[in-house]
Order: sequence, then C-alpha cells, then structure tokens
Amino acid sequence: MTLLSDTRYIFIRYLTKLVRTPILLFFSLFQPILFLVLFTQLLTNLALVPGILPTINGVPIAYLEFAAAGIVMQNAFGSALQSGNSIVADIDSGFLQKMLVTPVSRSAILLGRLSSDAFRVVVQTAIILGLGYALGVAENKPFYVTTGVVGILLIFFTLAFFGLAWSGISLALGMKTRSSETVFAIGGVITFPLLFLSPALFPLSFLPSWVQTVSMFNPVSYCVIATRALMINGYQWSTILPAWGVIGLVAVITLSATLYQFRKVVS
Amino acid sequence: MPDIITVKNLVEIYSDGTKAVDDISFNVQEGEFFGFLGPNGAGKSTTIKILTTLLRKTSGTVNVAGFDIEKQAAAIRKIIGVQSQETTVDGDLTGRENIVLQGHFHQMDTNDVKKRTDELLHLVGLEEAADKRGRNYSGGMKKRLDLATALVHKPKILFLDEPTTGLDPQSRSTIWSYLEKLNKEEGITIFLTTQYLEEADKLCKRLSIIDVGKIVASGSPIELKREIGADSIRISLENCQKDNTKAKALIKSLTDVTEINDSEECLTVFAKNAGLLIADIVRALDSSNIRIASVTFASPSLDDVFMKHTGRRIRTEELVKARSTMWGGARR
Repeated sequence: MTLLSDTRYIFIRYLTKLVRTPILLFFSLFQPILFLVLFTQLLTNLALVPGILPTINGVPIAYLEFAAAGIVMQNAFGSALQSGNSIVADIDSGFLQKMLVTPVSRSAILLGRLSSDAFRVVVQTAIILGLGYALGVAENKPFYVTTGVVGILLIFFTLAFFGLAWSGISLALGMKTRSSETVFAIGGVITFPLLFLSPALFPLSFLPSWVQTVSMFNPVSYCVIATRALMINGYQWSTILPAWGVIGLVAVITLSATLYQFRKVVS
Repeated sequence: MPDIITVKNLVEIYSDGTKAVDDISFNVQEGEFFGFLGPNGAGKSTTIKILTTLLRKTSGTVNVAGFDIEKQAAAIRKIIGVQSQETTVDGDLTGRENIVLQGHFHQMDTNDVKKRTDELLHLVGLEEAADKRGRNYSGGMKKRLDLATALVHKPKILFLDEPTTGLDPQSRSTIWSYLEKLNKEEGITIFLTTQYLEEADKLCKRLSIIDVGKIVASGSPIELKREIGADSIRISLENCQKDNTKAKALIKSLTDVTEINDSEECLTVFAKNAGLLIADIVRALDSSNIRIASVTFASPSLDDVFMKHTGRRIRTEELVKARSTMWGGARR
C-alpha cells in the first residue's frame, strides 16, 4: 500500500537525519539526564523523611526510582517539542514542496513525521530507564519495573502516545508561525510549569494544596501517575486507563490543529 | 508537435491582493525547450507553482499533458519533474540517498530506483561524491544533484525555476549542456524560467518575455530580436573630425544601410544583416584613405527586446554584479 510504504520512507528519512545530527539528540537527552543524575542526588535524603515517598513492604523507595517516571515524561516533552522545528526546516528549505510535487501520499508526510517522533521517544525512554537502573545499582538500591517486560512496553506506549500529543502542539505551531524560535520559546515556556504543577518530581501529598488542585487539571499529572504505577505499584488500571483517556483527548485537540495547519500548508 | 501545456487567461491574485500573474495565455509543444524570461517578481515562479500543482490558480484554464490542473493534479505529479528556485537537497542525506528517496516518493520499484540512481549520478558527474552528505556539496554540485532528483522517474516534462541562478559560469555551462542533452536526446519537454538573457537565448527554442505578471512578447529568440530590426556597427576613425562627413557619405551610398548617426566612437551604422556589410564599409573607407581605429558589431539582444516592450532593462542588481564578474566587458 502506498500510504504505508510512503510513511516508511519518510519515517526512515527523519530517523536518518536524527542519527546524523547527534547534537539534537544530545540536547533533548541532556536535561533529563541532568535531572536523573544530579537532581535526584540532591533529594536522596527525601527518603529519610517518613511518609513522603511511597513504600514497598514498609520501606520507602529511593528518590531516584520515584523521580524516574517524571524524568521520562520530561524527556518526552523535550523531543516532542523539536518536532515542529523539523517541519519548519522542511518548509524553509523547500523540501516539503519538493515532496508535494511528487505523487507521495500527503498523509504519509505527517504520519512519517509523527511515527519518527514516537519511535524517538521510545528509544530515549529506554536510554533513561537503563541509565536509571545502572545508577540504582551503583547506589546499591537497584529498582525494577514491577510490571516486567509487558509493563515496560506499556510505559513505552504511554510515553510515545504522550509524545505524539505534544508533537501535535509543536507541529501546529511550527506550521502556523514558520519559526523555529517561536516553537522553542513556547515549548520552553510550557514545559516546566506543566512538570512542576504535577506530581512528576514530588509526591502529590508533599505539594502545597493549591498546586494539588491545579495538578488535577494538568494532563501531565495523569500520565506521570500512570507511568509511576507501572514502574512501582503494578497494573493499577484505575490510573492507567484514565491517563490514556486524557492523552487521547489532548492528542485529538493538538493533532486536529496539526492537520488543520497541514492542510493549509499543503493546498 | 501537439501542445503538451496549454494555459489560457491564467490569473493569480494573492490573498493580499497582489496580482502576480495577470491574464497570461501560452502553450508549450511536446519536446520543446520553452522559457519564461523576466526580472525578479515578474510572475515566473508563480506560474511554475501553478503548473506544478503547488499553487491554486485564481482563474483561467491550465492543461498539462492532457490533464486538468485542478481535477487531475495527481496524474500530473506522476509525469513532471520539478527543480525549484531554492536548491532543495537534504543536507543530512548523501547524494545517492537524496535521489533514491525521490524515487521512492514516485513509488518506483526499489531495483529500478537503484539502477536509475547510478545512471543519474553518472549523468550529472557526481559519482565520486555520491556517498558524501549533501551539506558538504558546493553550490554547483547541489544544483546538479537537485536536477538529478527531479529526473529520477523519467518525467515527460521538466520544470526548472531559475536553474542556474547564483552559479559560477562553469557550473552554469555544465548545467546548460545537461539540459540540452536531456531535451535533444531524451525528448523531454523543458519549461524553464530565467532572468539571464544568455540562458534564454542559448537554450530556449521559443520563449515568452514576462514582466509584472504579463507576457509582453513571445517567439523564438531570433524572431524576437528580428523585431528590433537593425544590427549596429560602431566605427571609430583615427581622425573623426576630419573624415566624419566623407565617411558618412561613403557608407550611406552602400545598400542596406537604414541609418547612420554620430556617436561616442564616431559613427554608428544601423543595418539589417550588418555582419555582411562590415567588409563593404571597411573597403569603402580604406579606398578613400580613411583610417579606421576600430569596428564593433552588435546584434540586438533580448535585453533590447525587453527594453522595447517595457521601457526598462532586464538587469537586476544581482545580475549586473554577476555579469560584470563573469562576462567582463561583454555587456553592451
């Protein structure tokens, strides 16, 4: 089928570009790794205060283990927000036009981009989880994803899905403004408030009550809680399913905006 | 030869009200090398964008290879190759990968793409650099690669939007020779836009001169220049003051001379087929012992044609700069 094979070639193109521009990978991995390695160190002693971090068999888990779910989320943000820049680059260089004068499937242009975004989030998540595991071992506090291989796959799915929803924002912004600077600026402005106003880095009970209230309206909260459940508590479908619902809702909105902008660019 | 492109009363008005193309009609025959000559902003790129399905026309009818531009855009995309004004090479991919990817965009079979890519790399002389990344190519190499990507699916019609703008003379003449070869040997119809007089003159069998969205003249370069009429011969004499009157009388007596004027050099003679007249003039002056310092012959250029129809010279600033470095004193 043309749509599938066209999508595949565009997917491969974007991945090739990414692998050959390691600086982009470096930038989107740099912040999460900084958090993983340094930030968690600062808060190691949080585990000493009783009742803050969740416990397993009565023993509080390491802060590193707790924060990992938030950090993979942060990583998904970072790489999703670069997606819009790639489309701006293709518009500026004329490469998009070059695709449009060929019979290539129009949907494949967008699907190829989005699938490469999703793939990238999965790879980076794997890198961060692997690194987190290694750090845990080094500190003599190894942690495992409670739900095992299936759980890891579900984490990948959740984050890829989440990444797609946010790619939608940066793609729509990129096509609307045609400016990488704007995409970066807006991306940077929304990332941290959304993370801080969620239980990404601190337990909900630890947060001031107004932040707790705000975090209930923050889609990021639901995703973090679901990811954390898969890592620590097990298959808590009552948190996982709502999270997918919230991501789905965000995705419908952002990807509709993307589609709308894309149609405008294409016609 | 039947028409492969027919354009009738084409109008393009941008959303801000700019009339980029103002009621133009023209046709291109199958196998023809056709060109649009005009300065920046004349409407050349806009027309190409409409013909290549990138831009929706405001009104008029456009038919490419028997397909209606709006109803059968998909069919048109299969048989056209396009090189846009901006060189679009993916710098992260190698030359070879750029061509192969374009082949995949045309849904070509993987083996066919491979074979065709080798052929094209050979055609544009990029075999050695084939596996280097596009970003390391020079400007001329990028243009050649871009041309190769436009040819991967053996298009029936090739659209080239200023294919040599910004290139050095050597790269330019290399591209010219590929284009002539493609047109002559493979029979590809070529639609080219350019702001370079030499390019239009050398390559196009027929061209339209376009200015502020309107076609002001059409024909073969020779026909267009013939409209201007006379060639000119500029003669400077060793002693212009003394011999001026006598020389004028002598030259006037020769047949075919339409006009003779005093000029900077001394005299400027206008005549049809002035080339043939030079020997007569030299002989006549010589036998009357009038010594000639120099004789310059100039046939009308497309610039003169543009001047006649628009009252302006076609040269843009960029062009003047390019020409003075590239062709030196050849400007006239």
